[in-house]
Amino acid sequence: MALLTEVQKNYGKLKNYVNGEWIESTTDKWLDIENPTTGAIIGQVPMSTADETKAAIEAANEAWWSWRETPPIDRGRLFFKLKELLEQHYENIARIMVQEQGKTIDEARGETRRAIENVEVAAGIPSLLFGYSLEDGAAGGIDEDAIRSPLGVFGAVCPFNFPAMIPYWFWPYAVATGNTYIIKPSSQVPITQNYMTKIVEQAGFPPGVLNIVNGSHEVSDTLMEHPKVKGISFVGSTPVAKYIYKHSAENGKRVQAQGGAKNSLVVMPDAVLDRTVNNMLASYYGCAGQRCLAGSNLVAVGNIADPLLKKWIESSKKIKMGYGLDESVNMGPVVSAKAKKKVLDYIDGAEREGGKILLDGRKAKVPGYEKGHFIGPTVIDGVTPDMTIAKDEVFGPVVSFMRMESMDDAIDFIHKSPFGNAASIYTQSGKSARDFRYRVQCGNIGINVGIVAAMAYFPFAGYKDSFFGDLHGQGQDAINFFTDRKVVITRWF
Amino acid sequence: MVECEFPECTTFGSVVRFALELEKGAAGVYEELAKAVPSAALFKELAAAHKKRGGMLENMRQQKLNEMILEPIQDMEREKYIIDTKVPKVSDAKQAAKVVMKIEETSSKFYTDASKSAKSIMAEAYRFMDKMSKDNLAYKAKLETL
Repeated sequence: MALLTEVQKNYGKLKNYVNGEWIESTTDKWLDIENPTTGAIIGQVPMSTADETKAAIEAANEAWWSWRETPPIDRGRLFFKLKELLEQHYENIARIMVQEQGKTIDEARGETRRAIENVEVAAGIPSLLFGYSLEDGAAGGIDEDAIRSPLGVFGAVCPFNFPAMIPYWFWPYAVATGNTYIIKPSSQVPITQNYMTKIVEQAGFPPGVLNIVNGSHEVSDTLMEHPKVKGISFVGSTPVAKYIYKHSAENGKRVQAQGGAKNSLVVMPDAVLDRTVNNMLASYYGCAGQRCLAGSNLVAVGNIADPLLKKWIESSKKIKMGYGLDESVNMGPVVSAKAKKKVLDYIDGAEREGGKILLDGRKAKVPGYEKGHFIGPTVIDGVTPDMTIAKDEVFGPVVSFMRMESMDDAIDFIHKSPFGNAASIYTQSGKSARDFRYRVQCGNIGINVGIVAAMAYFPFAGYKDSFFGDLHGQGQDAINFFTDRKVVITRWF
Repeated sequence: MVECEFPECTTFGSVVRFALELEKGAAGVYEELAKAVPSAALFKELAAAHKKRGGMLENMRQQKLNEMILEPIQDMEREKYIIDTKVPKVSDAKQAAKVVMKIEETSSKFYTDASKSAKSIMAEAYRFMDKMSKDNLAYKAKLETL
């Protein structure tokens, strides 16, 4: 089938967006941005300097007070305008994501929708910002009020897997509540956010309210260390999340740091086999397994293991790989050669540790895309809880098939993991589902749902080494993260 | 003749693309028939209806897509739903109607099957596809009156 058209073949040298202006970085360090499907270089991203980051922080701080004085209803109106513009650019945003990240067009369209949903929630900011009051709350004739106030400049350090959505878990809430913001997009996938920020500019947000600084750890460290930055949001791997959490906290910041995951999907003997398999395919192979909510361990309980495995292999073989701009493709490549090597190393390691590779995606080739970083669906049988592949985050389309006697065994296994991002159960039993939901120590729980992706008005949760902080992205948690309560006690003489 | 490119139906996006091609093809055939049989206003009316449905499909794809439940589609055979967009010479409305009734039938079958696939993915898409299928049959019924 014909490919959808690329928005541009090459996006050139990306600029930073600071104080309402697009500024070319003075750095001499630039990274190529690669299309992971074709291997083509589609742009260059600057590794901006600490001074450039500081200039963005100063601009955001300068813009803060007049933005904070803008009534919430007026701030909300800008988000309505932004929503309309994002709808107009919906298809372009999705196609750029496919180009730079490698996901399929359906995944990219879905992700764009998710970003827009956060804008829609932020547009309702007046109601979300309400504080509370109590007449005679302090004593007779003395009233007490709690008011939500913005704090100043916030920043986000973003990952490569969701270039449109993840910055939108944070900045619309931060800005709608009256703060100003700096995004550091992933240097692997910065074009989407660059494009979306041009739309933000078009919507009429005042200069300095939202800023983009491209780069690497020099930008992140400057954000974490600068006294005028009040808080940091992060999504990425657990080691970096720990560093961000610790380093930001040492510098007196609020932090929400989402780390890695190792998600188990548990299939009970009473699961509806066809529907379960189809739903799990999206979880294990969607975004080529590069999502923190992706299934990784497939835990079959009792006698469903053999029929499940048979059906799973049959269905996995039908997954069509290719360029995500072909609408009939089910799975694209992983994001880079480095990412591919890491996944292949895990598969090799699993084989050495005794895993049986029933479906091997290591040598996958897609005609016409020989330079693409493709890994085919891979299914490893005989995985046991002590094997590395059962414990580490793989971030690729690799299924570790495990057999257990009971749901209790499955829950014990889940609890041994240092991660606590997500877990799902497939069952027709309300009792099993209820027990699972009640007992499992993970932030996102699926009942017959393999990708437990909270909608914009709910927090994106996470426990243990999957999240550092207390307030999550999205929803009311985001409002709380980006505001503080000011308590006022009033007495009139 | 309208050139259509019918993809394999393996994803939500490709099913919608298939549907868009169906609508484009059907609209094109109706337009040609409207020229051939100017006395039959129904062909013009249904050409417009199919164009409108294309817009509705695009809107549904943009507004209803939920990436959380983007399951692969593995039960729709592309070949079953391909329509012939070549318009033969027709001399009257009855003959012309026969050409498009076949298209409406095939389209209805496509939307019925697509709605079944969509049911496990997203309820809104199911309802939308189901309505499209019913509309195809309503168009066919109108054509039978010519």
